[in-house]
Amino acid sequence: MKSKLSRFAVPYVIWMALFVVAPIVLVVIYAFTTAEGSFTLENFASMGTYGVVFYRSFKLALIATLICLLIGYPVSYCMSKEGPRFQRAAMVLIMLPMWINFLLRTYSWMSILENNGLLNQLFQKIGIISLYNGIFGTDYRFFPMMNTQGAVVLGMVYNYLPFMILPIYSVIIKLDNSLIEAARDLGANAFQVFRRVILPLSLPGVLSGITMVFVPSVSTFAISKMLGGGTEMILGDLIEQQFLGGAYNPQLGAAISLVMMVIVVVCMVVMNRFGEGEEQAVML
Amino acid sequence: MKRRNSALSRVFTALVFVFLYAPIFLLIIFSFNAGNSNIVWSGFSLNWYRELLHNRLILRSVYTTLLVSLLATAIATFAGTFAAIGFYSLRRRQRNLLNTVNNIPMMNADIVTGVAMCLFFVAFFGLWSDFANWFNGVQHFIELPSRLTLGFGTLLIAHVAFNIPYVILSVGPKLRQMDKNLVDAAQDLGCTWMQAFWKVILPEIKPGIVSGALTAFTMSVDDFIISYFTAGSSSSTLAMTIYGMTKKRVTPEINAVSTLLFVTVLLLLVITNLREARLERMGADAPRRSRTAERIATVFSTPKGRWIQRGGAGVLAAGFLTAIILLTGATNSHPVVNVCSWGEYIDEELITQFEEETGIAVNYQTAESNEALYSLLKSGAGDYDVIVPSDYMISQLIEEDMLEKLDYGNIPNFSLISERFRNLPYDPQNEYTVPYAWGTVGIIYNTTMVDEPITSWDAMFDSRYQGEVLMFRNSRDAMATALLKLGYSLNTTDEAELREAFQLLQDAKSRGVYQSFVMDEIFQKLEGANAAVGAYYAGDYISMLENNEDLALVIPEEGSNWFMDAMCVLKDAPHKEEAEVWMNFIASTEANLANMDFIGYASPNEEALAQYPAYYEELYGEPLDPEIYEIMAVPQEILDKCEAYLVLPAETRKLYNDLWTELGI
Repeated sequence: MKSKLSRFAVPYVIWMALFVVAPIVLVVIYAFTTAEGSFTLENFASMGTYGVVFYRSFKLALIATLICLLIGYPVSYCMSKEGPRFQRAAMVLIMLPMWINFLLRTYSWMSILENNGLLNQLFQKIGIISLYNGIFGTDYRFFPMMNTQGAVVLGMVYNYLPFMILPIYSVIIKLDNSLIEAARDLGANAFQVFRRVILPLSLPGVLSGITMVFVPSVSTFAISKMLGGGTEMILGDLIEQQFLGGAYNPQLGAAISLVMMVIVVVCMVVMNRFGEGEEQAVML
Repeated sequence: MKRRNSALSRVFTALVFVFLYAPIFLLIIFSFNAGNSNIVWSGFSLNWYRELLHNRLILRSVYTTLLVSLLATAIATFAGTFAAIGFYSLRRRQRNLLNTVNNIPMMNADIVTGVAMCLFFVAFFGLWSDFANWFNGVQHFIELPSRLTLGFGTLLIAHVAFNIPYVILSVGPKLRQMDKNLVDAAQDLGCTWMQAFWKVILPEIKPGIVSGALTAFTMSVDDFIISYFTAGSSSSTLAMTIYGMTKKRVTPEINAVSTLLFVTVLLLLVITNLREARLERMGADAPRRSRTAERIATVFSTPKGRWIQRGGAGVLAAGFLTAIILLTGATNSHPVVNVCSWGEYIDEELITQFEEETGIAVNYQTAESNEALYSLLKSGAGDYDVIVPSDYMISQLIEEDMLEKLDYGNIPNFSLISERFRNLPYDPQNEYTVPYAWGTVGIIYNTTMVDEPITSWDAMFDSRYQGEVLMFRNSRDAMATALLKLGYSLNTTDEAELREAFQLLQDAKSRGVYQSFVMDEIFQKLEGANAAVGAYYAGDYISMLENNEDLALVIPEEGSNWFMDAMCVLKDAPHKEEAEVWMNFIASTEANLANMDFIGYASPNEEALAQYPAYYEELYGEPLDPEIYEIMAVPQEILDKCEAYLVLPAETRKLYNDLWTELGI
């Protein structure tokens, strides 16, 4: 029975070879060649110049991931303690924003954060800005919020928060209740139950949430372009610029992509070490 | 366990939801705005919903998005379900290996997947074209399309490729949860394994399939990055259209279309959830086992299953691939022309008019800058017929043999182009180009936000305007502002001079002079008084002035750049004839007048240039301000102070690229 069913895997294995593996092999080839097609390591050697970009990307993505975790975990935890009807509604509410394209949602943030945007206008109206100027002796017409690293991080958190909540929630909700009851029977208080039982058991969800937020954050280009104003370039921008942007150099772009892939592989390896649980956790 | 949340944690959860929804509600609210701003409320109106019905560009991209998402979801759900069953029946070692490969597209950064796919498709098209040429050469019964391009087919493949993993990931666990004895029992009762699949496995894993399909569909609709790299020039998804717009002004029609999509999905989700909740209350899940058992008992043969049984899945996959190849090839045979121009650079009425008059459909896309256009062409991601590059880029493209010579017999309206705009240095014999529009670069500033009128390029580097200056996001124009300030030629190849100019930019950037590096975002930033000073193309100043009267334009005393954008046809363009019909249409005096009025750049058509003030007066019932006319059609004595860009030698271009990347980081 089983062996017969396994032939179902064949078409997809061919598909993966074509559309998953072959493209990646091509990226590797590009990364190690010059524009003329001969072998070179220069694409990697020149990467030192972009150390600042690497540093900034990792910094911003890590901050965004951390904030997502700090917001996402409590929310998932609270959600799991509510009644089934609330949980159902909350899941819908978390999925729903994805139906408005993320570019539009980010654009919406632009009109909120602009120097002359909604928030600053509000601050002006209720006098916060003049109050601030009065106290600190500054001369702000507005609070500069756009085109800062903070704005980019906000964009990341906003767009990828659901990717943190969903896996954590789906792990917490599956926790065996008897374990918690047992812990309580054995005299653990609420905090101890959380620290000793719930937190360790929800770790697979946390890890997959971290990966699912970190990877897109470190590689986005639209968010940093829109909210960072092109002054806060991150890895995604750098790659895009080499392929479809203002400095055509696909070999360098491929080399940076390869580095990105290595980062992802490292993340995957770390996750795999925490066992089988991850597979369900990644799913919604 | 079911200890209730404290009020505090509930407030926290509520706040997170407010955070998630505030920008969305803002979008929805402003879709009902009478004005076209996303910040200033000017009254309730359904205007943008009405406008939406007439916006071909948006409607077409919504159609593409839905079509590609639905098809990709259907294919991925089907293929993914079978693949998951296949994986499930493999030995553990093999399964783990395949699962790892399967995880790649999901775990990889979207941009890496997109880039890899783009490289792969372009490489494949190269091989295919060799093969097709050889094949067409040895036989004459079947004519294979020799030129494949990125388009709907590749977009679909890419979406299927990133959707399947989600389906597998959601079906896999359901398979493992399944009671394995059920399958054996079914077979004991006389099922073939195919019947066992339809009658036993499928009902068991159905929830996994449904949630996999839903996830796949959501991912498809939300995707931007992978589509951006694989859709090519002939199809754009809604996300790509929006991305094009976020670079300047998002028209509230987009808010309207998003609101409609949002409400539809909300209703769908509410309905399905209410139904599920009701079923749950009725306890419909309880007799589940018995229902499955029932299914085993009433086994009868299904004709549906048979063809898949005979290795049909492999045939299906091959058929699907062939269909996609033919589909990508077939899109070439429609009367269509793919145009790539700049943002806010055409009166869109003209496109509709052209389509009605000639029956040729226009795929109209925009690039950000000449340099970005060059990347699009080189990488194979932009497969256009007509492009509208600027002078220096035209020289470069001619130099690299990327343009096709035109048949001016098909473009009679070329005779209307003014003598002084023919045979310019970029195309000395005028064999490749039909001029589109020309203009100068100037500094646009908000008179209420500066202390004194700006007269010099110094302003672009002045700490007084710290955080208020908008600089070009393309190397040639950005370097030009510095070269002009330093008094060097815009076409200098002297490395020391270029480095000095770069240093000036770098220094100003580190002093925080630049609020951001922009292209068409400048419209929204200057109109909304979000920045005080910005260098941009003079024609666009006129559009901005309509939305903010405080803006002023100066062509600085040091001189400036004047440019000509001209239409060209790419080498081996599949629709050269249609392209020439398009160029002839655009070169007409009527089209030039409409364009001049819409985009604010000067027309190279002598008649149109002279007639414009009269045209304006007739259209708006008031005479054209001569100052405005002078900004559009810059008088010769000012033009004499301006320098045109020439193509730079390859090593200087490399230096520009390197310096530009360095400035960016």
